[in-house]
Amino acid sequence: MKRLGGMIALLLLVSACGGGKETEADTSADEALIEDDVAERADAKTGDDAAATAETEDNGAVRPSLDPFPSSYTRYPSGVTFITDATILTGTGEKIEGGSVLIEDGKIVAVGELGAITAPDGATIYDANGKWVTPGIIDIHSHLGVYPSPSTQSTSDGNEATSPNTAEVWAEHSVWPHDPGFTRALAGGVTTLQILPGSANLFGGRSAILKNVPARTVQGMKFPDAPYGMKMACGENPKRVYNDRGPATRMANFSHYRRAWIEAAAYKKKWEDYWEKVEKGGEDAEKAEAPARDLQKETLAGVLNGDIRVNMHCYRGDEMVQVLDMAKEFGYKITTFHHATEAYKIADILAKEGVCAAVWSDWWGFKLEAYDSIRENAAFVHTQPGGCAIIHSDSDTGIQRLNQEAAKAMSDGKRAGVAVDEAIAIAWITSNPAKAMGIDDVTGTLESGKMADVVIWSGNPFSVYAQSERVYVDGALLYDRRNSALSPRTDFELGQQANDFTGGAGQ
Amino acid sequence: MKMSKKMSLPKKFLATASAIGALVTGASAQVVVIQNAEIHTASDAGVIEDGDIILLGGEITEIGQGLTVPDGATVIDAAGQILTPGIIAPYSSIGLSEISLDREANDAGPRSGEDFPLSAALNAADAINPSATLIGVNRAGGVTRALSAPEAGDGMFAGQAVVIDLDGDGQIITRPNAAQIVMMGYAGARRTGDTRMGAWATLRDTLDEARIYASNPREYYQRTRDSRFSFSDLEALAPIIAGEQKLFVHVNGAPDITTLIKLKADYGLDVVIVGGSEAWRVAQALATVEIPVILDAFNNLPAQFEDLGATLENAARLHRAGVSIGFYNPPGFGAHNLRALPQLAGNAVANGLPHDAAIEALTINPARMLGIDQRYGSLEVGKGADLVIWDGDPLEVTVRPVTVIIDGKVTSLENRQTKLRDRYDDLRKGDLPHAYRGRR
Repeated sequence: MKRLGGMIALLLLVSACGGGKETEADTSADEALIEDDVAERADAKTGDDAAATAETEDNGAVRPSLDPFPSSYTRYPSGVTFITDATILTGTGEKIEGGSVLIEDGKIVAVGELGAITAPDGATIYDANGKWVTPGIIDIHSHLGVYPSPSTQSTSDGNEATSPNTAEVWAEHSVWPHDPGFTRALAGGVTTLQILPGSANLFGGRSAILKNVPARTVQGMKFPDAPYGMKMACGENPKRVYNDRGPATRMANFSHYRRAWIEAAAYKKKWEDYWEKVEKGGEDAEKAEAPARDLQKETLAGVLNGDIRVNMHCYRGDEMVQVLDMAKEFGYKITTFHHATEAYKIADILAKEGVCAAVWSDWWGFKLEAYDSIRENAAFVHTQPGGCAIIHSDSDTGIQRLNQEAAKAMSDGKRAGVAVDEAIAIAWITSNPAKAMGIDDVTGTLESGKMADVVIWSGNPFSVYAQSERVYVDGALLYDRRNSALSPRTDFELGQQANDFTGGAGQ
Repeated sequence: MKMSKKMSLPKKFLATASAIGALVTGASAQVVVIQNAEIHTASDAGVIEDGDIILLGGEITEIGQGLTVPDGATVIDAAGQILTPGIIAPYSSIGLSEISLDREANDAGPRSGEDFPLSAALNAADAINPSATLIGVNRAGGVTRALSAPEAGDGMFAGQAVVIDLDGDGQIITRPNAAQIVMMGYAGARRTGDTRMGAWATLRDTLDEARIYASNPREYYQRTRDSRFSFSDLEALAPIIAGEQKLFVHVNGAPDITTLIKLKADYGLDVVIVGGSEAWRVAQALATVEIPVILDAFNNLPAQFEDLGATLENAARLHRAGVSIGFYNPPGFGAHNLRALPQLAGNAVANGLPHDAAIEALTINPARMLGIDQRYGSLEVGKGADLVIWDGDPLEVTVRPVTVIIDGKVTSLENRQTKLRDRYDDLRKGDLPHAYRGRR
């Protein structure tokens, strides 16, 4: 066994050659920095719990907190990093050959061609000759943490399949931050993910948007200030799960949705009326009685307010267009149709309505509503003016190679005559999901001022042979293929003899 | 197991190359010449740069450089392209399941929980559908032959698998009764008292019963209904205990694999492992007893406790130890994306498997596992002409087949998905009926 372990270490060293050179002094500088910043980070983690408390008005009326489980994430320690001489895909449609990226204080400071920007004194310089650099990969559809490894009854926390409407549940309350799957996804370059409840229910509950960082708590992973999403589901799943008690048909799916929206609108109005009275003051304000809180309707009202983004599991094109009409009926917006195997049939309508389609590259046939999948789906969605294509995983292994899935979809699109290349297709797994999740102002592209969520690939990430070599989250190096100490095993995996010598987390 | 109605005696099991050859029908008399390809032979000849290959009567008749083109031959210029043997999928349910979650369109196996009485006796040949859309879809991805295996219901045995071709001509079976499938590890345990001890004891018990039956079927028929296993199940296991049929064993954990190695010796079984997430931990032992492993190269998660050692380097480590490997899609994915097997192989290469070993793991290794290697799996003179021309490195996710030839015939790459693509690739005419849009 020891000999095998030695061989792997040797292989890792060999594979690291060919441009990815960093001096030992640089590495130790990094380590010193990390130690220095630990105390600072611990400090930063304490104070910010104001958002968790409910706000009390002058007259004693209590406004429920919109963020009772606030993010406690603060960026990890990092210094100044200068990645240079790489092929850069910015996520904005641009490709820079021989480009450089400067990272400082967790942010991207500059991106440009060789010579256009230079390394400041004291920067850790990473010569990325022959390597490619992209924004951190973003998966808009993951169940990591809620369906973690190991997969047992004890850990099966993704589907509250007890009622067709469970808008009241929040995925974050199921997320196990020690799911080994997070580390494997990080090794695949994933820096941000949206954890969704499953698709058994018409209304599945709230999503959690997470930074893919190791943490003791889910709050420590929560993406600061990211809007909530809500999971909904069309078609086969809800009617199969609730066949005995209903909905048992697609028409009942719709009647259940609409009934819930009517009730949510009434609930929203009750609260609005109440606050109007309170704010007006006087006798009415004193007599005003706060409506009873209803967690289910609170989430739905959040959608109607535009605060919470709808992520809707829907395969069939005809069904998606009916959902769009329903959204208009109640005045809310669908952000993204997930799976959307028939998006290509209605790609013009989706583009016109500004709705993204999050799809697989080639999954098909596992159920009848997924029978008409084609491999050109993403490209056909993209090619419509204003079309928004996203490649999602919905899988703890697929999330590890979204770059390959995007590559397959790109290549099949090209063969069908769609003008698409790496510079465009990288957006399907970076800037487009960021946009759909409402975090595109801070991540998803390599642009000055954005979070330094960055992946260095051993080569063109649209090749099956490319591997992520380094992954930075907010400028902090959180994965290094050559240094397994940087991304250690999760609690669950620690001390398990069977995974000794498997090569470190993510491998 | 309960009694079955069928009471015929065990038949002599046929597995010779000539029997396979006899099943190949419709071999073309047309001569096809492919020129200027980079030929990956998956044989001792290795890679032939700028190579030519001549196909006649469904077989490879010449292979080399600068070959003379026979009169009347169809010539395919493959300059800049790569030629490989057809991809052989060593484990799938292709042709048995069209839609996984649709009861009527999924014949892959008995529904669990319904106490269906038979298991080993189920035979894929009875239900295989030569018109399954999966055949055309996966052919377009370079897959030319596949094992189609039943999926287990409540019993630990799933039944008899067949090897099929994917040329879509209706004559689908390359080799009947190619393998028997059995669920071990946790998949077996939960069918046998929820303990792995139960799985192994039940397996031994059943094999012992099959031996007793095979030694004197007439005497066994005299037993009362309560004291005998199903005749047809026992009959199906006769070639297994005779060591004449492959037993594909679903197993993952290293301890289970160690027990399997012992069982193989005790019963003289011809075993192939399916799964094997921890096989690398006992790689040397597997190499010694020549047990091949069909693995999922994406599997690197501790999905169960028996998978704690799962690693992306499984393929590379097994190969290094001398174990023959093949690839299969993750469990639950049926057979819809056998076309993604080269992606699995490519990922194995990214994690240490040599490229030529990956090509062999997609071609000649599965041919050996399925007992069709005398005829298929490598590009050699005298072998059946199953081959694929790719527009680049076949393991690359951006590379696709240009030409797929099965038994010497150039096949169509059109399928239900390409037809849907062609129907909807221009949405400018909106809801006009398809005929009015100039489309089908």
